[in-house]
Amino acid sequence: MTDVIKCPTCGKNNLPDQEFCQYCRSRLTPLTGALKGADAPIRPGQIPTKKNTAELEPILPQWLRDARDSARKTTENEPTPQDKQKQESFSASTSSFDLLAGLQNQKESSDEENEVPDWLANLTGDSVKPKKDETESSEVRWVELGGEKDFARDEESQTGSAGETAHIEPQSNEKEDLSDWFRDASGFQPQLQPDQPAETENSFSPPTSDTPDWLRKMVADSEPQNDQAQSLDSGSVSAFPDSPDWLRNMPLESNLQSSPAKELDNTFDAASAPFVEEPDWLRALGGSQDNVNAGTPVDLSQTSLGTFEAGESSSADKLPEWMESFPSIESDKPLQGTVPKWLKEETSATSAEAEIPVWLSSGFPAAEPAATAPEKPIAEDSSLLGDIPNWLKASAPQSSIFSDEQSPAGSLDTPDWLKTSSDEQQPQSRSAFSEIESASPAFSADTQSSENMDALFTDMPDWLSKATDNSSLLSQLPAADVNLIEPGELPSWVQAMRPSDSGNPLSFSSDETLEKRGALAGFQGVLPAVPGYAATSKPKAYSIKLNASQEQQTHAAYLEQILAGETAPLPIASFSSLQRSRGLRWVITFIFFVILTPVLFLRTQFFAMPVGVPNEIGNAMRVVQAIPEGAPVLVAFDYEPARVGEMEAAAAPIFKQLRNPNLTFISTNETGGLLAEHFSSIPLDGLSGESGPQPLNLGYLPGGQMGIRAFGENPPAAAPFDISLSPAWASPQLQGITSLSQFAALIIISDNANSTRAWIEQTSDTRGAIPILVISSAQAAPMIQPYYDSRQVSGLVTGLYGGAVVEQNNGSTGEITRKYWDAYSIGMYLAMVFILGGGLLNLALGLRDRVTAREAK
Amino acid sequence: MVLSLDLITGLLSFVFTLFIFSYLIGDNPLFRIAVYIFVGVSSGYIASIAWWQVIWPRLINPLIFGSILEKGFMLVPLIGAILIFMKILPRMAGMARFAMAFMVGVGAAVTIYGAVAGTLIPQVLGTINIFDLLAASARNVSPIESIFNGSVILAGTIFTLIYFHFGARPKADGSMQRMRLIELFAWVGRIFIGITLGTVFAGVYAAALTAFIERIISIINFIGNFL
Repeated sequence: MTDVIKCPTCGKNNLPDQEFCQYCRSRLTPLTGALKGADAPIRPGQIPTKKNTAELEPILPQWLRDARDSARKTTENEPTPQDKQKQESFSASTSSFDLLAGLQNQKESSDEENEVPDWLANLTGDSVKPKKDETESSEVRWVELGGEKDFARDEESQTGSAGETAHIEPQSNEKEDLSDWFRDASGFQPQLQPDQPAETENSFSPPTSDTPDWLRKMVADSEPQNDQAQSLDSGSVSAFPDSPDWLRNMPLESNLQSSPAKELDNTFDAASAPFVEEPDWLRALGGSQDNVNAGTPVDLSQTSLGTFEAGESSSADKLPEWMESFPSIESDKPLQGTVPKWLKEETSATSAEAEIPVWLSSGFPAAEPAATAPEKPIAEDSSLLGDIPNWLKASAPQSSIFSDEQSPAGSLDTPDWLKTSSDEQQPQSRSAFSEIESASPAFSADTQSSENMDALFTDMPDWLSKATDNSSLLSQLPAADVNLIEPGELPSWVQAMRPSDSGNPLSFSSDETLEKRGALAGFQGVLPAVPGYAATSKPKAYSIKLNASQEQQTHAAYLEQILAGETAPLPIASFSSLQRSRGLRWVITFIFFVILTPVLFLRTQFFAMPVGVPNEIGNAMRVVQAIPEGAPVLVAFDYEPARVGEMEAAAAPIFKQLRNPNLTFISTNETGGLLAEHFSSIPLDGLSGESGPQPLNLGYLPGGQMGIRAFGENPPAAAPFDISLSPAWASPQLQGITSLSQFAALIIISDNANSTRAWIEQTSDTRGAIPILVISSAQAAPMIQPYYDSRQVSGLVTGLYGGAVVEQNNGSTGEITRKYWDAYSIGMYLAMVFILGGGLLNLALGLRDRVTAREAK
Repeated sequence: MVLSLDLITGLLSFVFTLFIFSYLIGDNPLFRIAVYIFVGVSSGYIASIAWWQVIWPRLINPLIFGSILEKGFMLVPLIGAILIFMKILPRMAGMARFAMAFMVGVGAAVTIYGAVAGTLIPQVLGTINIFDLLAASARNVSPIESIFNGSVILAGTIFTLIYFHFGARPKADGSMQRMRLIELFAWVGRIFIGITLGTVFAGVYAAALTAFIERIISIINFIGNFL
């Protein structure tokens, strides 16, 4: 027996130096060895040695502690030397393999292969085997649970004693953590097998102190009824009227297991009992396990099946619907229908990925070429716990279901993810590390046949096959790189699980950076932590375009226009340059000189004198004619010397109409006295003094408007002297005159509207009814005209035109205005021509510029 | 050779006229010489007029040869004149304030009174009375002409005043615009203003043309004296 190793999977014998079964490729030796005794971290390449992890026990999860305790107890309670001898080959594996113990159930139920989906088979590391015969499928069962008989039994024992199915005895303290339904279930099984000493090491110890009374009573009742299964069926139900239906059915089922077949059925029932409170996914998993169990050898005789069905039928009425549908699950219905949704979805996916759950497939590259190494090492399978749903993670360490994973019921309750992950590690370790594990003496060389290997990798997921290929490549890495891995501080249970235990570190990534610390010490291609992380791709470019609506953009455009209009300098209309103006001025001057000088020099009379008499001029002539002969007339000379020619030409005809006037000259302008003297020198009839007194020149009247007003109120006081400083008011011209109103008329000769207005305004109160006659320059006529229209001025003679009119109407000929009139008329026409010509030229230039601007646009 | 006064004045008049005409080619020394001489002569003449016709006969002579009463009255203008004369000295310029204040005050009062009594009220009355057909008949003006003239004057007055009404309300686009009716009347008033300014320009041109002709005649006469 020591020369060969019996495959725990297929039951065939293999050489002792083989690591994997040459028939079914199952691992014959455990992947991880015993831990070292010290807490020193495992260095890459070191062989894991046994450790005293007692101190670390408290930090282990409860479920893991329980599993380890159970495994330890299983290995220690070897009843027979044969069993111990058998157990030695698995001692190392049970200590470290305890986590995966329950997972072997799936693999071992070879007769149920057709019910296990391929993906699940792949995850367990087994190749999809062709369907075997029933005899072949019933060879090995429950071997990983540590029952040495499982490896030693032959065909006969297997067929004859199905009750040899290993049962892990749960510890009493563990039961306290179990749920009621599980305690109940576990409490039944040991009682069902009291007379099987060969199975004592694997059977449950009967609960004593913690078992409720009703349960002990139920157990007590069940013992004498081992041989009376049919009768107990009704009696057990009546004995526990208060217990739930499913619990009442349990004694019945346990009675049915008095025989090996019954025992197996009872195991199934005990496992099926917790399904009442299990979630669907667990129920489905349990169902699958039940399928495995239900698929136990055909020598589960018809009687046993019949009793099972009877018992099942007796309780089926009271079972919930999900329990009613349970038998259908036991049938040949694919296991996929019982897996959780997250597994269902994946199984319905493509061929390669359909066999891998999402959470599992996401962790590995699915369909990459075999030449490319997978990004994640196989050891990251342990991180699958991080990918599973939270509810599943939460349930894993807390639920007491996993504490009895070595028991049939416990193994049934073990979630698939744990089974698959643990089983998955095994083939991965086998395949990926098989070639480099030569440094580890704990494993033997793989002697599997090439056919089996082909079958294994043919059916394996891509990611796993890649890992295998890459492992061969990585096995060629220099040993120095392997030794570079520094140890990490890991808990013992993590050390036991991490694949570094197997020997050399592996890296399937192109990143050759070795992780030096932490749980991932020794791995390459690990995603770096935040420090030192350098992005390998260019950062994504984000658009800086403002996300503004059309209305906002319109408002922004308005604002920009406003700001641009405020900041932009306004073009100032350019004036014509001096050069052009000077030339034009020269031209105009030249024209005037050329035309007017000959006219004046020749004294031509081309133009007739004006005939029509305007009202203001007519009234002025009437006022003058109305002045009595020899009446005093006050004449104000308020014009500049530059206007002498115009003013004398306008005023001379009026003064010609006066008849022996007694003229008094006064001026508000400093030069007025002199201009008055010059005007007196004109040889006119009224000014000659031939027919009357000489005009009296009072000279300059100071004070402006105030002087005029003072003169209007008191003329002798305001202008007491004449221009020769003689007393003016004592002269014959002003004899008897003390006020302004005593003058016969007031004649204002002015080229300035302001001075005329001053005389009009300031003498309005003092002049009385005397008429005011204004002889103004042409430039002041428009401003003086309103005073005529308002009758403040009796008559108005403006400029050369007015003088010409007066001169034309008083019958005089050849006087002053006549000398000016032709030149004056020509000058006026020239002005009109220049204005019209300039206007038309400007219009033409404007049109040209406009057309040019339009063409430019 | 005895130079007559008329020849001298005629020569000076001819020379200075040419100097002033030289401004056609721009500002030049001849033009400046003529201007400076005119300014100087005018200032001297005005100063002499002020002395001989104002200060001496009306201030100094009464103070010297006048009676006590006249002297007393003449002290007020004398003190005022002295204070205004202090403006020559910057440190004493403040003393001219009293005299200047008196002059400005009296001048403003006289001006305002004259403007109101002699221009504003009579112009308003004239604009209203222009429609007085009886007065028009008295002035030998036909009623139709009087009404037409009155209407034009009234419209011109109103529309011109409206043109200087710049009150407006802001629009949505920020621009300012008056009411449409105001804009229409202002446009008509702008026509009246244009006509008025054109008339003024014509008057200025006529006055300047007459002065130009007078100067040319003066030159011709001067030259004719030697022909």
